[in-house]
Amino acid sequence: MASTAAVPFWRAAGMTYITYSNICASLVRGCLKEPYKSDAASREKVHFAVSKWANGKPEKPTIRTDSPDQ
Amino acid sequence: MAMAALRREGRRFVVSLASSAPITARSSISSEEPCLFGVRSISTQIVRNRMKSVKNIQKITKAMKMVAASKLRGVQTKTEKSRGLWQPFVALLGDNLNVDVKKNVVITVTSDKGLCGGINSTSVKVSKALTKIYSGPEKETKYVILGEKGKAQLVRDSKNSIELTVTEWQKNPLNYTQVAVLADDILKNVEFDALRIVFNKFHSVVSFPPTVSTILSPEVVEKESEAGGRLGDLDLYEIEGGETKSEVLQNLAEFQFSCVLFNAVLENGCSELGARMSAMDSSSKNAGEMLDRLTLTYNRTRQASITTELIEIISGASALEG
Repeated sequence: MASTAAVPFWRAAGMTYITYSNICASLVRGCLKEPYKSDAASREKVHFAVSKWANGKPEKPTIRTDSPDQ
Repeated sequence: MAMAALRREGRRFVVSLASSAPITARSSISSEEPCLFGVRSISTQIVRNRMKSVKNIQKITKAMKMVAASKLRGVQTKTEKSRGLWQPFVALLGDNLNVDVKKNVVITVTSDKGLCGGINSTSVKVSKALTKIYSGPEKETKYVILGEKGKAQLVRDSKNSIELTVTEWQKNPLNYTQVAVLADDILKNVEFDALRIVFNKFHSVVSFPPTVSTILSPEVVEKESEAGGRLGDLDLYEIEGGETKSEVLQNLAEFQFSCVLFNAVLENGCSELGARMSAMDSSSKNAGEMLDRLTLTYNRTRQASITTELIEIISGASALEG
């Protein structure tokens, strides 16, 4: 069987396994009741600034804040 | 008036006899002193100001040490728990440091803030050494830098090999989601055959040696598993579901990267806090010693000025009588 057959839907959509598991995790966190839900939400915070470099020069950094799903 | 002139003359005479060493040591303190000729007595005001500032610095460094110590406790429990994430991977796939691949990407984990001793320099040194080891014909090594301090050091001589830099990632307390998003970004933007993560592993508060963890891309893992060895045993495992081996390997490789990066980031955070604790501790100790030396100088100066006043009074009085 060709190795390209039966690719899972999320990989066909361009996500990596990590993104997929992250989305699943935030879904599970969303199923909690208060107060555990807000505790879990605090464990989901994302903030960093990444900048690609080309030819020894940094480009404008893109900041990703509070976007646990991506 | 005459007494004052005599006094100044006497001092000048005494000073020219004395060695120049104490004068130069004090010249830095007495540089604002308006008197000339290397006068020995310094104004007590200057010494007092210096003492106040050194005391403030000592207080600040002590406080920073306490803060680092309290933060360390929290991060340490997290780190120890995260070690369980990647240990099964090493048991399954092995830590392949010796695999020879064409495209290496070195991920250097450093901190954004300073005052943490030498850990960032050691990480950068290890990354540069790795680049040298893996250099050769047809091979290239690129950097992905996490943290301002690493960026500042690597920009100086390896500008062209930097692929990505990430800053401000220590703003929120570390959690897996952030590291996963970061790992995803790296996977999407960087081509690699092998990823080498350089970080400081936390053994104890005083020991944090730099370590390298290797993650191979799934294609390389397949090649290696055909070559036999540890990875060759992968075929002994049964794969459930309708997935092929390469898919499983791909998922595993991505997840392994994310777990190892999470652990690396936590361990580096612990090491940074431990290094900051010891750096601040030694700096408060140094400040204390400096304070002792300054106190001695201050007392000496004060007593000398009191003695000269007494001498003036007494000689004035005896001049009146006699």
